[in-house]
Amino acid sequence: MGDETNSLPLDLRINTSPMPRLLRVMTVITVLGFVGTLALGLRVAGTDIQQGEIQRIFYIHMPSFFGAFTAFGLTVIGGIIYLARKNETWDRIALAGVEVGLAFSLINLLTGSIWARPIWNTWWTWDPRLTSAAIMCLTYAAYLMLRAGIDDPGKRRAFMSVYGILAFVTVLITLFIIRIVPETIHPVIVGASPQNAQGGFAATSGVVIALVPSLLLWLTLLPITIIWHRVRLEARIEALNQLKLQALSE
Amino acid sequence: MMRTAIGIVALICALLTTGLVASEDGEDTTTAYYQSRAFNAPIFAGWDDQSGEDFALFHLAEAEATIRTAIAPLDDINAAAVAELSEAFGIDVGQPIYQGKVNLADGTWSVLVYDYGEETTASVMARLAGAGAVVISFIERDPAARTALLTVAQADDALDDPTPEIAIAFQSITGRALSELSRAESILLPSGEWTVYTAEDMSAMGMIFGNDSYVALQEGAPGDLAALADAYNRTLLGFFITPESSHYLALALAVVFVILGALVGSLFWRERSLRKDLALLERLAGE
Repeated sequence: MGDETNSLPLDLRINTSPMPRLLRVMTVITVLGFVGTLALGLRVAGTDIQQGEIQRIFYIHMPSFFGAFTAFGLTVIGGIIYLARKNETWDRIALAGVEVGLAFSLINLLTGSIWARPIWNTWWTWDPRLTSAAIMCLTYAAYLMLRAGIDDPGKRRAFMSVYGILAFVTVLITLFIIRIVPETIHPVIVGASPQNAQGGFAATSGVVIALVPSLLLWLTLLPITIIWHRVRLEARIEALNQLKLQALSE
Repeated sequence: MMRTAIGIVALICALLTTGLVASEDGEDTTTAYYQSRAFNAPIFAGWDDQSGEDFALFHLAEAEATIRTAIAPLDDINAAAVAELSEAFGIDVGQPIYQGKVNLADGTWSVLVYDYGEETTASVMARLAGAGAVVISFIERDPAARTALLTVAQADDALDDPTPEIAIAFQSITGRALSELSRAESILLPSGEWTVYTAEDMSAMGMIFGNDSYVALQEGAPGDLAALADAYNRTLLGFFITPESSHYLALALAVVFVILGALVGSLFWRERSLRKDLALLERLAGE
């Protein structure tokens, strides 16, 4: 069997199958959805009279966090199923979830910081929500660094699965901290903001029509589509690495 | 599997819509606002809204009082105040009977009070805003009263009583001592808690906000000073200019595109590297 595999052309021994039709459709819808939701946030939603144009970044800032939530959630699911079944595909999903989730978290953190400059008059403050979001980003950045530092594939996958599951605590803390710690100045979008909150959504018309489609896109299609592409790529990278090792051993 | 996924998405959609609509339609405690490109000013129930495209104007017929907010295209505050009174109300102003300055959260405001004899008094607060000047003016033309509304910086900001500033304003404008009035019970208005002094023909009120005292004086006794003082001070405290923050939005969008571009670009870059490595391996295998 092994000899038969070695006799195949190299590009056939790694997965070069064409992109699945569903993934193609999802990619097109995601791109169109991204452009559409951007147009809704920038053109259809009214201008906030207290904050001015910068308030429109909320139509990306908040959904990007929920996109990260989905991606990191898939890391947890991938980690649990990998530990149970030892199927490498689930480890790839976990890895892809971290990469996509980290990118979305950085979008969330940086757009929030840029919003804070004109509204809070500072780029950064050690508010509970901001601090927990920063810790979340650092935790997942550490995931990628640690993963790169473990040579043994089996140990790497098992260790990072556990790490990915535990790291999700930082996501939950970031999500719920403004409802637990009343001292935060971060506004709450759904429901009443804490007493100290500065800046919010109340004055904007058309919030629902701009925010809901954006939230749905970032929560579902955007992370899942990119993760799927990343998983396919990771499978090919792993196969190539196997071939490299084989070539070296020969 | 597909049905479950669709169900979850539908549930999330319903929850988000319900939550957001509830947060929009909940008890509305916000003040209605006159909105223009230049500024925003609160609208008060009971006042006739005669606002135009570039000015907010509210009139209370029974008190013959008008509150107007506008931005004059002049970079001299006093000149802007004079121009506003002249152009909007046809008042040819002379020297103010009171002139002062106060530092509020949104800048330094000039406080001017003009007296035009028996019928008309004008109270103005103005500050520079960009290339022009914001002028918030209160005009009262009730023959039965003369009303002045002004803001005076607190001499001692640790003191939780506007009486010293009421006395200063009272002395400056009427030439009389506040001791001629007797202190009445404080009243609570939407703008805050007001300390009240009254006499048979005179009323004086004051409220502390920040490090300043907002003072209202009225000669005559039509009994509408509280309503006028409350509306004018809520205009002063509620007025704001929508900040120009579009360059921050552009920066934030640039960050979004750079990060998403880097994420998607890294997939393409790694795919290209993979193909190069594969080609190299094939070449080596061929040799």
